[in-house]
Amino acid sequence: MITIDKLEVAVNGRTILQDVSLEAPAGQLTAIVGPNGSGKSTLLKALCRDYAYSGKISLDGRDIASMTPMELSVLRAVLPQSSNLPFPFTVREVVAMGLTAGRPGVARQHLQTLPDEALARVDLTGFGGRFYGELSGGEQQRVQLARVLCQVWQPVVEGVPRYLFLDEPVSSLDIKHQLMIMDVAQRFARSGGGVIAVLHDLNLTALYADAIIALRKGKVVARGRPEAVLTDKVLETVFDVPLRVGIAPQKGSFVLPHSVRAGAASEVA
Amino acid sequence: MTSTMILHSIGVPARPEGDRSHLGRLAVFALALALVAAMALSVTTGASGASALNLIGAWLGFVPADDAALLRDSAVILNIRMPRMVLGVLIGSGLAVSGLLMQGLFRNPLADPGLVGVSSGSALGAIVIIVLGGTALAPFTSALGIWALPAAAFCGGLVITTILYRVATRGGQTAIATMLLAGIAIGALAGAFSGLLTYVASDNQLRDLTFWGMGSLAGANWIKVAAAGPIIICALAAAAFLARGLNAMTLGEATASHLGVPVQRFKRLTILSVAAATGASVAVSGGIGFVGIVVPHLLRLVIGPDHRYLLPASALLGATFLLLCDALSRTIVAPAELPIGIVTAAFGGPFFLWILLHRRSAFAW
Repeated sequence: MITIDKLEVAVNGRTILQDVSLEAPAGQLTAIVGPNGSGKSTLLKALCRDYAYSGKISLDGRDIASMTPMELSVLRAVLPQSSNLPFPFTVREVVAMGLTAGRPGVARQHLQTLPDEALARVDLTGFGGRFYGELSGGEQQRVQLARVLCQVWQPVVEGVPRYLFLDEPVSSLDIKHQLMIMDVAQRFARSGGGVIAVLHDLNLTALYADAIIALRKGKVVARGRPEAVLTDKVLETVFDVPLRVGIAPQKGSFVLPHSVRAGAASEVA
Repeated sequence: MTSTMILHSIGVPARPEGDRSHLGRLAVFALALALVAAMALSVTTGASGASALNLIGAWLGFVPADDAALLRDSAVILNIRMPRMVLGVLIGSGLAVSGLLMQGLFRNPLADPGLVGVSSGSALGAIVIIVLGGTALAPFTSALGIWALPAAAFCGGLVITTILYRVATRGGQTAIATMLLAGIAIGALAGAFSGLLTYVASDNQLRDLTFWGMGSLAGANWIKVAAAGPIIICALAAAAFLARGLNAMTLGEATASHLGVPVQRFKRLTILSVAAATGASVAVSGGIGFVGIVVPHLLRLVIGPDHRYLLPASALLGATFLLLCDALSRTIVAPAELPIGIVTAAFGGPFFLWILLHRRSAFAW
């Protein structure tokens, strides 16, 4: 369980997050949604201790401020929005960096094959020998996810859950890989780990999230199960644009942009 | 792919694609052998024609040990060539590893102690001692003895590296242009102070300064080895613990921290190691340029950028490279000799330009 209590973050003297309190339990995929500049990524960065903050963030009851980078690295892995590398590493070498902390939760003899298994999970089998810098943005993002998966390969080790923090994990992926990556994240949560993902796509959020936290101007304006947060009224408050939520025949809700202006709607019609 | 298949067919186990650790191990092994050969070459060649073989023969009892020529040869080899060889190994590996550490710290393949002013800072520290050591700073020099010069050079290098890091790095990202320009500015500043000191130096000091400033292993002796050796060895030993952190740092500071690297402590140790190795090298041999950029870059082309192999391989190749340059500098205009800094620059300058042309797109200035 990740518990955030009265979190406040200021970057360069400007307050980005204010009085944010929330909980994200293990075993669930918690999505953070909100418009640009609402503080989603800042919240994730504070969780990763990249930004100084006031308030308290604890991971299964332990204050993260008092933990060493090594202790934290065993319990959570972080997928950044993008990563470029100054040196010509191969894909496999990048993925194997996930093993820096050295405790993915697998047997020692398993470590050698782990990078390739992680690559298979993000649909990059056979990419190990390619140079990272020569891949497309979407492929690079999946390589990074494979690296992150290596770090916390087992979602639960000796009864202790581990966490994945994903900052816009599918932003540059095609639809097939969006679904595939969200599947990987969901499976991690279903196996007892915790996932916190910053997401822009409300339909993916509806499809995969177990809980949603909606931010607006640095404050939590709604939180709870998808049915509770993904409503016309809440979404209009959060995103400042009229949105209509429908129910897909098989599975969950979906969100359609509703007409912002009367003219726009008639053009579409 | 084909070579993998051939290796597999002769019974070498298949390696996962993209895993270059076997190249790294092979390179370290081959370079260790190369270094031994270069060390042998360094001890056996020189202007005097002293024969190391005769000396070994004397030790083993094949050549009479009271021969006058042998005594002279043994003096040449034990007191001139041996310390010079040892100093070459220390300085070559120190400079190559300093370059590698800076490139990892700045996440930038063009970082090098000589290019970004660290050597100028070390030189300033050393010049302060050379010029003022007998007068204003006499207590300091008498307290530290032979270590006064390397200690001052270390302090100079440390100050410059720290300033450079503060100026050129924002939020864990270093802009290449900013780093190089800041290096030029800081180097110029250090140069100005050095110039000022040169102005007040006496004629004798001036001769020392000129000779030393060109970068040379000439004048190597066991005292210089004793002064610089322990410092460089400490820096190399510290660097051995930085390999995994340097790999993680290539993903950026934040990600390195997420991977469990204590980033602040890591950066401090890296800067200290760079300043120590560069400072000690500059103190005893002046400014020998380009070793720190040529050696790691060449190795990266062959074995890839994994620092677990790149660090030992750079130390070995740096030492070998410097010994070979030194052998060249001693023989090319024999019986005179070129300052070794000229030889390394003659290799390094064009090489640096080649990197720029070859990888211009990758840098995206």
